[in-house]
Amino acid sequence: MKSAPVSKLALAVIASAFSLFPGMGCGGNELHPKLFSSEWSDDGGASIAAVRNKLRDAPFTRGADVILAIPTSAKNKIIGMPMAGGAKWTVTHALDARPQIVGSIVVGSGGGEVFALDATTGKQLWSRATGGLPVRGAGDDGNLTAVTLGKVDRAGSVLLVIARDGSVKRQVETDKVLGVPAMLGAHVFVPWSNQYVSAYDAVTGEEVGRVTLREKVSRAWTESSALYFGEVGIFRFDDHIKDASKNGASHIGIPQRELPGTPRLLVPGTERIPVVANALDQARLYARPAGGPVGAYGVDTNRFFATYYSLIMSFDSQSGKLAWVHTNKADVIGGEAVPGGLVTCDEDGKVTSFDAKSGGILTETTFGEPIQSCVVFLDSYKPTGSAPAQGTLSEQISTAVTNREATLATAQRLLLRELATLPDESATKTLVDLARDPRTPPVVEKDARTALAQRRTGAQYMLTALTKHYDFLGDVLVSPPVGPMAEALAAMKEPKASSSLAPYLTDPNITDDDVKRVAAAMLVSATTSDLPQLRTFFMMYRSASESEDMAIATATVGQTILKLDPKDGRALLTDAAKDPFTTVSVKNKLEAILAAEQSTAPASSSSSASSAAPPSSAVSPVTKPKK
Amino acid sequence: MGTNRAKRNRTTVLVACAALCALASGSALAAGGGGGGGGGNGTGGGKGDGKKAGAVAAPAKKPVPAPVNGSASNPQAMFSLTPELSQKLASSDESQIRNALDDVRLAGKAAAPAVPAIVKLLQRGVSASLAETACDTLGDIQSQDATVAITPYTRHRDVKVRRAAAKALSRTRGAEAIKALRLSLSDSDAVVRGLAATGLGSLKAKEAVPDLLDALDHKIAESASSVGQLCAPEECEIFMGKLGRLPFDVMTGGFDQMIFRPETELNDDNKVKIIGRLRELGTAEANKFLKDVQGRWPAKWSKRVKQAIDQGVIATGGGS
Repeated sequence: MKSAPVSKLALAVIASAFSLFPGMGCGGNELHPKLFSSEWSDDGGASIAAVRNKLRDAPFTRGADVILAIPTSAKNKIIGMPMAGGAKWTVTHALDARPQIVGSIVVGSGGGEVFALDATTGKQLWSRATGGLPVRGAGDDGNLTAVTLGKVDRAGSVLLVIARDGSVKRQVETDKVLGVPAMLGAHVFVPWSNQYVSAYDAVTGEEVGRVTLREKVSRAWTESSALYFGEVGIFRFDDHIKDASKNGASHIGIPQRELPGTPRLLVPGTERIPVVANALDQARLYARPAGGPVGAYGVDTNRFFATYYSLIMSFDSQSGKLAWVHTNKADVIGGEAVPGGLVTCDEDGKVTSFDAKSGGILTETTFGEPIQSCVVFLDSYKPTGSAPAQGTLSEQISTAVTNREATLATAQRLLLRELATLPDESATKTLVDLARDPRTPPVVEKDARTALAQRRTGAQYMLTALTKHYDFLGDVLVSPPVGPMAEALAAMKEPKASSSLAPYLTDPNITDDDVKRVAAAMLVSATTSDLPQLRTFFMMYRSASESEDMAIATATVGQTILKLDPKDGRALLTDAAKDPFTTVSVKNKLEAILAAEQSTAPASSSSSASSAAPPSSAVSPVTKPKK
Repeated sequence: MGTNRAKRNRTTVLVACAALCALASGSALAAGGGGGGGGGNGTGGGKGDGKKAGAVAAPAKKPVPAPVNGSASNPQAMFSLTPELSQKLASSDESQIRNALDDVRLAGKAAAPAVPAIVKLLQRGVSASLAETACDTLGDIQSQDATVAITPYTRHRDVKVRRAAAKALSRTRGAEAIKALRLSLSDSDAVVRGLAATGLGSLKAKEAVPDLLDALDHKIAESASSVGQLCAPEECEIFMGKLGRLPFDVMTGGFDQMIFRPETELNDDNKVKIIGRLRELGTAEANKFLKDVQGRWPAKWSKRVKQAIDQGVIATGGGS
C-alpha cells in the first residue's frame, strides 16, 4: 500500500506503477487503523465514533439537482438537465463508463482521463490522465474530489484526491478493491472488502477510523445533508455508527418480497457502470432515506419503488404491499427516489416525477430526444403539488397486465397475483379478459385461470363472459375460462351459475379439465331445470369418456342427476353401472357413488345424503377407480 | 358446382352398382352405403340429395342410370326387421351391433323400421366410434324420426362423431336438423362447417341463407352452392356483391346453382343479371364458366337466358 501527498503527479504512470508497496502507510497515530489493512481488530466503534465527533458539524455540499443523459444519437455526448432551473447543457467527451454526479460536479472518464464538469453548467473543471484505468466512483465535498479507479476483473485500486484546480492531493494504491467513495470535511469514506468503510483524512493521509458493517456495503455517498453507506441496504453515518459491528447502526432496507427481475437497490460500487443502459438499469429499486443526518431514520414517504422495463411499481416500505403501478410508454432506464416522490427517465428521453403516495404524475419534461442511459441525482429537489392516483389499484394493474409487451410477462405474473388479492369486481373482469385473450402469454394465462378460480367477487363479469361461447361465425374463436369461473361461481353460490354453465357440458370447444370443473360446479348449483342437459351429457359420455377428466365429469354429472332426481337417477346410475358399454373408469366411479349413497342415506330417503354432498367429496370418491 | 354435382351423380351410380353387386354376391357391402354419404339409395336420392341434384342435374352431361325398384333384385325392398336383427341392435356386444348396422345400411331408406332401435342405441349412450356408425346408418335411412336423437351428437367432443351427425342430419331433415346445422356452421372443425353448409342447401333451409352468406365471408366455400340453391333475388344480389372479394371458383358454385334453378324460384331477369355480371368480369375464367353453362343449357329452357349466355361467352372470349 502506498499513500502519499501528490502535488503534480502524472497519473499516466499509475497503471504501470500499479505495484504495491506494503508498509508505506503514512505512519501517524498508532490507534488508527493501518490504511486498508485486513490485520485490524474491530475497535468497538471507537475510531469511527471519533471521526463522527470530529465531523459532526462538517458542512455538506448541496447537490446540483441535475439529470444527465447520453443520447441515442451519440455515445460520447452528455446532456445535463438542471431540475432547479437553468438551461440544458451538452458536453462531448469520450466515455468508458457512465458519468456520475457527486455533489455539484459530474465526474466522468474516457479517452484515458478522468474529468470533472460543473453539474449546473457543464463547464469542465479539470481533467487528469488515468493511464487507462476506469473510474469506479467518486465523492466530493465541495473542495476536494475523491476518485477510485480500478479494473473490474482485477484486484487493486487507486484512490485519488483531487482539488478543484485539478491537482492531485493524495494518491493511494492498494491491493484491495475499493468501492465508491464519499467525501465530507476533507475526509474520504471508502467502502472496501464488502464490509468496511475506512475514513481517510485527505489532509494527513491517515486512515483515521474504520467501521465494520454487518451487511454488504460498497458505496458511500452524501445526500440531503447526511452521509450514507450501503449496497443491499442503507446505513446512515450518525451517532449509532459506532455500534455498527454489533448491528446497531442506523439502517434501512427493503422488505423481502417477490419482485420481477431481481432488481437492485444500489449497483455494487465495485462494478463499472456501462455507458449504455442495460437490463440491470431497467429492473431497479429506488428508496430514499428520510430523516436527515440525525434523529429518526426511515424510508421517505414509507415507499420504495421498483421498475421493470416500462412498469413502475410502488410498495409500502414496511409491509412490502403494492401501493400503485404505472405503465410507462417507454422502458424506464434510470431514476431516483426524491422527497415525496420518484423521478424517472425513460428511453424516449422523458423525465417524469411521480407522487410517491398516489402514483399520480407531478411533472413531465424531456431531453427532447431518445436516450440510451441516464443518471439522476437529486439532492434537494422536491416536486411540488400533489397528483391524484391514475385510477384504482385494480385498474392500474389491469392496464399493466394487459400490456402486450412480451418482456413484461414476469412482472405481469406478479401483478396478477396482486390483483387476485383485491376484492374489486373489476379485478375479476381483468382476469377473465386475460384468460380468454389468445395474445396472453401462456404462463400469464395459467396464472389468470388460477387466480380466477379463487375469486369471490365479480360474478356478474363471469356470467357475462359465459354467454360468449366459441362461435366461428361470430368470430369468437376462444372459449372463456369456463373451469375456473365454474369453481368460483360455485364457491360464491351464484344462483344463476347453473343455467350459464350447463350448456358448456356439451360444448366441444372447452378442455376436458374445464368440463370436469363445470360438472363439479353443477353438483353444487344445478337445479331440476338443468336435468335435460345433465342427462344428455351422461348419455353421450358414459360410454365415450376417453380421459380421466371426462370420466370424473361423467360420474359427477351422474351424481348430480341422482341428487336432483333420486328415484330415476338411481335407476339411471344403476343401469349404467351394469352396462358393459359404460367405460370401466366411469363404471367404478358410479358404483362408488351408489355405494356411498346407500351407506349414508336413511332407508326411506337416500336422496338427502347425495344432496348434501359437497363438490370435493363428490369427486373424491370417484377419482380412484377400483381395480 | 358442376364438379360437385358430377361427384354426387357418380356416387349415385356407385351406390346403385354396389347394391346390385351385393345382391349378386349375397354379401353385405357396407362400404357401398358408407362411402357414398350422398345416398345409399337411388330412390331416396331423388328426395334427398337426389332431389337437389334433380333440380340442378337436369342438364347433367351424362345420364344417371335409374335404380332398380320394387323387385327381387333390390335389397332395399327386401328389408325386414327380424327379431334377430332387433336383438343384435339391442345387444351389449359392439361387434354384433356393428354387424346389424351394416345390414341396415344396405337396405337404405327401406330400413325405416329399424330407426327406433338405432335411436334407442344412441339414447342409451355408446362409444364414439359406434355413435359415428349409428349416425351414418340413420343418415342412410333418411328417416326424420331419427333427427332428434342425432342432434345432440353435433356437439360431441369427438369430431368424427360431429361430422357423422352433421352429414346424417342433412338427410334425415326436419326443423331440428336445420337448427342444429345452423349451429354447426360455427363449429371449430372446418369439415363440420362445410357439411353443415352443404346440408342446409340440401334441406332447402331458406331461413339459413343469411347465415350461409356470413359463412361465405368466413371462407366456408361450401356455402356458395347452398346460397345459390336457396337465395331470394335480393339475397342473390348480396351473393353477387362478393364477386371479386371471394375466389372465382368458390363463387361459380353459387352462380351455377342460380342459373339452373327453375324459373319459379329465380326468374329470367335475375339469371340474365347474373350472367351480365359474369360477362362484365371479362376474364378467361368467366369465359370458361359461361362456356360450360352454355354447353349444359337445356334446349327447351329459356331462350332469353340462352341468348345472354351466348353473348356472355362471346364477350368474354378475348379475356385474359
